[in-house]
Amino acid sequence: MIFGDIFLELSIRNVRLNFLRSLLAAIGIVIGVVAITSIGIMGANMTLSVTAELSESGNVIMITPDSSGGGGGGFPGGMGGGSSSDDEDEYIDKTQLRKIKQIATSGDNLVVPLYTTSENIDVSGQEGRATIYGIDINLVPDLVEVEEGSMPLSTAGVLVGSTLAERYDLKVGSRIQVGDEEVEDDDDIPQFTVRVTGILEEKGMSSDLNTDSAIVMDESLYTGHFGGEYEYDQVNIIAGDINDIKQLEEDLDYALNYREDEVLIQDSGSMLERISETLGTMTSFMSAIGAISLLVAAVSIFNVMMMSVTERVKEIGILRSIGTRRSEVRKMFLYESMLLGVIGAGIGAVASFIGGYILTYGMIGTTEYFFMPESLVYIPMGMFTGIVICILSGVYPAYRASCLDPIEALRAE
Amino acid sequence: MTDKPVIKLENVTKVYSLPTDDVIALDNINLDIMKGEFVAIMGTSGSGKSTLLNQIGCLDVPTSGNLYIDGRNVRDLNDNELTDLRRDKIGYIFQNFNLIPLLDLSENVEYPMLLKNKKRDETGYPKKLLEMVGLDETRIRHRPNEISGGQRQRVAIARALVNDPTILLCDEPTGNLDSKTSAQIMDMISGLNREGRTVVMVTHEPFIAKYAERTIVMEDGRIVS
Repeated sequence: MIFGDIFLELSIRNVRLNFLRSLLAAIGIVIGVVAITSIGIMGANMTLSVTAELSESGNVIMITPDSSGGGGGGFPGGMGGGSSSDDEDEYIDKTQLRKIKQIATSGDNLVVPLYTTSENIDVSGQEGRATIYGIDINLVPDLVEVEEGSMPLSTAGVLVGSTLAERYDLKVGSRIQVGDEEVEDDDDIPQFTVRVTGILEEKGMSSDLNTDSAIVMDESLYTGHFGGEYEYDQVNIIAGDINDIKQLEEDLDYALNYREDEVLIQDSGSMLERISETLGTMTSFMSAIGAISLLVAAVSIFNVMMMSVTERVKEIGILRSIGTRRSEVRKMFLYESMLLGVIGAGIGAVASFIGGYILTYGMIGTTEYFFMPESLVYIPMGMFTGIVICILSGVYPAYRASCLDPIEALRAE
Repeated sequence: MTDKPVIKLENVTKVYSLPTDDVIALDNINLDIMKGEFVAIMGTSGSGKSTLLNQIGCLDVPTSGNLYIDGRNVRDLNDNELTDLRRDKIGYIFQNFNLIPLLDLSENVEYPMLLKNKKRDETGYPKKLLEMVGLDETRIRHRPNEISGGQRQRVAIARALVNDPTILLCDEPTGNLDSKTSAQIMDMISGLNREGRTVVMVTHEPFIAKYAERTIVMEDGRIVS
């Protein structure tokens, strides 16, 4: 007798007696548990993966022109080719940069003004599009490592990201045509040739600078071809002390936005928070869809339990007539539904572990974070949900069984 | 037998309300059954003998009147108290044996003991009872559907005795048995009565009723003799 509890023993024996029926009911729970757990694990892995990549740049403040309202950034009217941002009237000007530097250089902070655009490229006839960054080339070593080759020495030298290099089979010394072959309007940039002097190491996803698929050139080369000198698209501040970020943001906001909102000041931490929240909401939504299968399983368990009560009316009558309390009859049926839950959730947990691993690898491409507590916690959570749903499904049948009149029950055939 | 009634019915009436009509199953019954007495209840089908036994067995409560079991008025007891009274004071032997199919013979006998003591028996008492009613050790791990009717009734008797009840209620205990087995079972029940237990037995067979010291005849819910 298990744990000396005769009612648990009776429940186990009844589950064994109706093994196939019980198994089919438990399979519903397996599917439900696998659905919510696997999705939860995948969501957690996605969040962990993104968080890990973004948190590497957690000490960065990004200042961009505010395009939402206010007066916009800097002074209107881009020169020549203009700033290469999407909205040519939006940029951070020399005066704003000076203010930024005044505030930021009070600590051990690095100020990185940069230009950025997206432009057509041509590598040995293979055409495409790439992000182009114009940065003071002396600052690049502080931002990203050169994996192969060296920093540009000539005016036409550039660095390329590892993903871009792989995609276009770029090597040190390769040549890239940047710009438009035919210049038809003011937005078109006359084609010019740059030479790859170095390939940057993989940086991963980042909120401040995504160099993996980009071409990084010195700002003089950039403005020489794209124009817009001192009309920066973004200024990054790499804080020496992560604890200074909030104060820096407040000082910058006061200095730059005191009249009207001219710039947006964001730190990678708050962006990370928003991305995590969005991913969390997506995971919850998908888990809720998965939970529908658990509800279907609950109906199945309810049905099985009602059948069990109907089939065992006579047995209930016997139990009651020889001294079994109503509460003990209830307990017996609740044990039975709990057993179905434990079996279903147990198999579901194993299947979720395997399914979650496959799903995570398939969707995210890495299982680096799979064994972390934030990811694996979904397995006990899924099991717990499955068991609770099973027990709840058994409450009414158990109540009905306990309310049977012993004399009527004894007469049942 | 003593002069103290262990079962006392005072003007007990039981009415079943049906959608079409009310059915009076017991009509103003007055009855005293003394401790250690062996009483047979006879009557035609529908005369109310099983209803009376169910009232005495605390499976049901009277619509009106008072029923005292071992000095306690069952109308004052709640469902749990009635259940406990049934478990501790009354042993029930049914015509259809009513063993629990999921349990083996030993577990069937042990079951009421487990309900009472809330723990497993370590004394071997259920096994001794099974031996006493004539079932050897080779049978005790069998399930009820693996033995004969006579053997099942022996198990039912052992189960009825496991909590050492003062009252044994027998509802047609030989109804499903052949005459030879019936005689063996009735000898066993008589022996238990001689040990001091009060026995109330419902039967429609006069030769079975002869085992009792007193026979009550019922008709239309009333005691007629």
